[in-house]
Amino acid sequence: MHHDQASRRAFLRQLGAFTGLGAAAPLALNLAAMSSASAQAATDYKAVVCLFMFGGNDAYNMFLPTDSTSFANYTAVRDQAPDSIALLAPGTAPVPTAPVASPARLGGVLPIVPATARTAPGGGTQTFGLHPSLGALQTLFNSQKRLAVLANVGPLKQPTTKAQYATTGYPLPASLFSHNDQQNTWQAFAPEGATKGWGGRMADLLLSQNTRASFTAVSVAGNAVWLSGDTVRQYQMSTSGAVRMGADSGGRLFGSTTVASALERVVRNARSNHRFETDMADIHARSIDAEVALRTTLKAASDPLFGTAPVSGSYNPNNDPKLQYDNPLTGGKSSNSLAQQFQMVARMIEASSSSALGMKRQVFFVSIGGFDSHDGQNRNQADNMAKIAQALKYFDDTLGGLNLRSNVTTFTASDFGRTFTSNGDGTDHGWGSHHLIMGGAVKGGDVYGQVPVLAARNANSNNFDGSPDQISNGVMLPSTSVDQYGATLGRWMGLSDTELLSIFPNLANFSQRNLGFMA
Amino acid sequence: MVAQGYAAWLDAQLAKPASLSYVSYWDARNAALGGTTANPKAGQREVLDAFWTQAVAGEDQVRARVAYALSQIFVVSMLDSGVGNNARGMASYADMLGAKGLGRYRDLLESVALHPVMGTYLTSLHNMKENTRTGRVPDENFAREVMQLFSIGLVQLNADGSVKTSGGSPVPTYTPSDISGLAKVFTGWSYACPVSDDSCFFNGISRDSERDIDAMIKPMRAYPQFHSSSVKSFLGATVPDQGSNADPAASLKVALDTLAGHPNVGPFLARQMIQRMVTSNPSPAYVGRVASAFAAGNGDLKALVRAVLLDTEARSATGLTDASFGKLREPVLRLSAFLRAFGATSDSGGWLVGNTDGNTDSLSQTPFRAPSVFNFYRPGYVPPGGQLGLAGLVAPEMQITHESSVVGYVNYMATALQSGLGMSGYDNKASRRDVQPDFLRDTTHALRTLAATDADVPALVDQVATRLLPAPMPAALKDIIVPAVLSIAVPVANGKNQDQIESAKLNRVRTAVMLTLASPEYTVQK
Repeated sequence: MHHDQASRRAFLRQLGAFTGLGAAAPLALNLAAMSSASAQAATDYKAVVCLFMFGGNDAYNMFLPTDSTSFANYTAVRDQAPDSIALLAPGTAPVPTAPVASPARLGGVLPIVPATARTAPGGGTQTFGLHPSLGALQTLFNSQKRLAVLANVGPLKQPTTKAQYATTGYPLPASLFSHNDQQNTWQAFAPEGATKGWGGRMADLLLSQNTRASFTAVSVAGNAVWLSGDTVRQYQMSTSGAVRMGADSGGRLFGSTTVASALERVVRNARSNHRFETDMADIHARSIDAEVALRTTLKAASDPLFGTAPVSGSYNPNNDPKLQYDNPLTGGKSSNSLAQQFQMVARMIEASSSSALGMKRQVFFVSIGGFDSHDGQNRNQADNMAKIAQALKYFDDTLGGLNLRSNVTTFTASDFGRTFTSNGDGTDHGWGSHHLIMGGAVKGGDVYGQVPVLAARNANSNNFDGSPDQISNGVMLPSTSVDQYGATLGRWMGLSDTELLSIFPNLANFSQRNLGFMA
Repeated sequence: MVAQGYAAWLDAQLAKPASLSYVSYWDARNAALGGTTANPKAGQREVLDAFWTQAVAGEDQVRARVAYALSQIFVVSMLDSGVGNNARGMASYADMLGAKGLGRYRDLLESVALHPVMGTYLTSLHNMKENTRTGRVPDENFAREVMQLFSIGLVQLNADGSVKTSGGSPVPTYTPSDISGLAKVFTGWSYACPVSDDSCFFNGISRDSERDIDAMIKPMRAYPQFHSSSVKSFLGATVPDQGSNADPAASLKVALDTLAGHPNVGPFLARQMIQRMVTSNPSPAYVGRVASAFAAGNGDLKALVRAVLLDTEARSATGLTDASFGKLREPVLRLSAFLRAFGATSDSGGWLVGNTDGNTDSLSQTPFRAPSVFNFYRPGYVPPGGQLGLAGLVAPEMQITHESSVVGYVNYMATALQSGLGMSGYDNKASRRDVQPDFLRDTTHALRTLAATDADVPALVDQVATRLLPAPMPAALKDIIVPAVLSIAVPVANGKNQDQIESAKLNRVRTAVMLTLASPEYTVQK
């Protein structure tokens, strides 16, 4: 089956999808809106990149209010023996002799100044800081204004207060606090087993603008349900690019081109109707066809657009200084696999947006793991934040070199945020969290959504009655839904209200469907 | 085996002792490198070498296979540096799965809960009791995952593994409050030391700077001074207030008895063990029969395994033609089956296959190196977009199968057929790679002899099929492989071209094997 022919069929299928809408859809099909969405933006290129932080990033230490009331509560709750995870006030100088990655060693949080003023709990303008390892992001926020923060976002079925959360039977997402289910919920609005993600669904509706379907949804990080749509299927690449199956550069296997051809016939065709065999053959066919298309169109990693050509020998991304970060645990440089993923994304964007591949709308998925900081949070998070900052800066720089900053928007996601309370050196599973959006089309330098109130702990329990936003253990109750987050990105990609309502199952329950962080 | 009957063969297998002790193997390799337990020179790769030694050469195939399946449920991973830097501990954990994997579930659960490598991986080691004054809470990681992944799962199950519903929705097995209560049980457990004082609790070294060199293999020790003594409530059970006599062992007994006694355990384990060993989508009746055998033996894992492997659904010939039956063979098992089918040997005796994580040049999977405690793939994974997804079938192994990893498997096996696998000896200076299949190392091998003559090529392909496929090769596949093999010409002998003749024969064998190994007829197990 030739997947590059799917664009026209996809257009017809999306027509069919509208007639099959479920109860959440408006009764009147806005066919004009749908056709204009397909016809509009025929010349510009746009891509959305999802950076998924697996394990549940501790958002409380990534972005935090630094006004005196909030910060005092933050410190009191998080400064626990044996290993305080309370970061220090802005302006605190790092202590070079303090334990590696400890708050004292890192120094104070990095001040960011949002364009929109908020009132601090104690009066005056509320101030904010980023984790000390996010220096590059501080610049992207404050000076370059290509980074925004979205506060306290998470899966919700409808707006939810603390009282409602505590009410039996109130509609809530299933399996909160479970890693695999929340990863799926963020990506596909359903627990483990879901098969359609909102990135893929967005791509379904934009597919007709692409000359080939097969590179519409690309993962550089393994299988991700976020990328699967009704028609669109993800294409997975490794950081080494597309690799040829079963043949050398001369097309030979065991010295024979005939044998190599036979291998291709064996793997890309099922000879029965067995479902497992059929699906396996499908994946092999896609792999082979994609590699052929990319063989001549994908520029090398060592191209100055993306990397540094080696002085001698072959290119090794682990040795490319553009892809290394300052490792706070070792004090030296380390290779950054996240930057390597962004390099692959950049190479694909360059090839895809060129006339050779003629793509107009793409969705990408990259990821980094190791965020489940039940223990050793200081070390874990310092390292993870450093990797993220370097990788995002690398990607922003690279897009600048391609003159595509305004065409590509990167956003973060994670299983959940974490508890406000500490278990002695780490945190447990939470719910709402803060996330970052980066790009030339982002209205950066500002904080969107509602910043949660950081209250003092109750005297006799781990509840936080002083905050409308913090449930047991100070877990953030989201004030913005993933639906709203995704819809804001989808709108930028060119989707209409009707289309957005068809993709985001809970969006109809929220009055603000555009969070405003895109220009 | 045909003479004995399958059940008798299985029982003989189940009775075999472990053929290898991972710790003994690792200690021997460590000593050969000049290392000691306190200052080791061996590391992760020696654990992997032990795995392959047992998997390919071990007599106790079923025990090893069960232990490997259990390693994907009671997951610890050397990808985590806390585990990877304690490879001897990982070896011990593997031995524990082998030793307890065919016994009572309650014993396995306790051994898992108290193993210091699990304590490291899921952060229960040196977990401290709550401090109500400052607001510190116990670490909930192990409490959560022991319920979600190692015992009862997320939702209430019927005896046949189907999900119980109430008002149309699944019924959760536990709440956040159960997790908080259970988390208190897993406080006050840590390393063993000659003197288990406070310093040892935190660092594994006592105040007098003494360690126990077996601290990463001995069960975690109870430290009452760090154990929560307040009332602990979870899953309807209660550990009463222990006052000033905190009693970690007593708390643990209540917790593990409660978990092991939960009716979910049988169906939860049964379905996953069927998925690991037979088919991804067992019928509820099959799950029910296995769960029932488990319960009849009072949580007997041996009975569970017998039921999994001997069930009519596993053995019936209809499985061979049912379009939904079976599973995608995971990459590690594709390799182990190949190595056994082709009489592979190890020049060094160490089975130096090594790390096979690589996506585009290797198997995308290495034993004991899962990406997280959620294993390489989820039991409930539905691959989007294909026939399986349309039919709503789960296919866990598809979660690591994509356009890159399929290339990695094919290219890795092609290289293996070209020149063998693994390092070239312990010092990487041997003349060839360590692991060699029979036809590669044996120039007079029967397969090469068949390859010499065009008329024998169909028989060559049949022989390869017999070794790798459960049923005769479909004609449609044979019709591709035979001509491909024949396309390699074997020159007529002229007294000076014996090398070219041997090379051509060998390439014919390689072609027959490679095309079979790459085929969905092989990679999908029915």
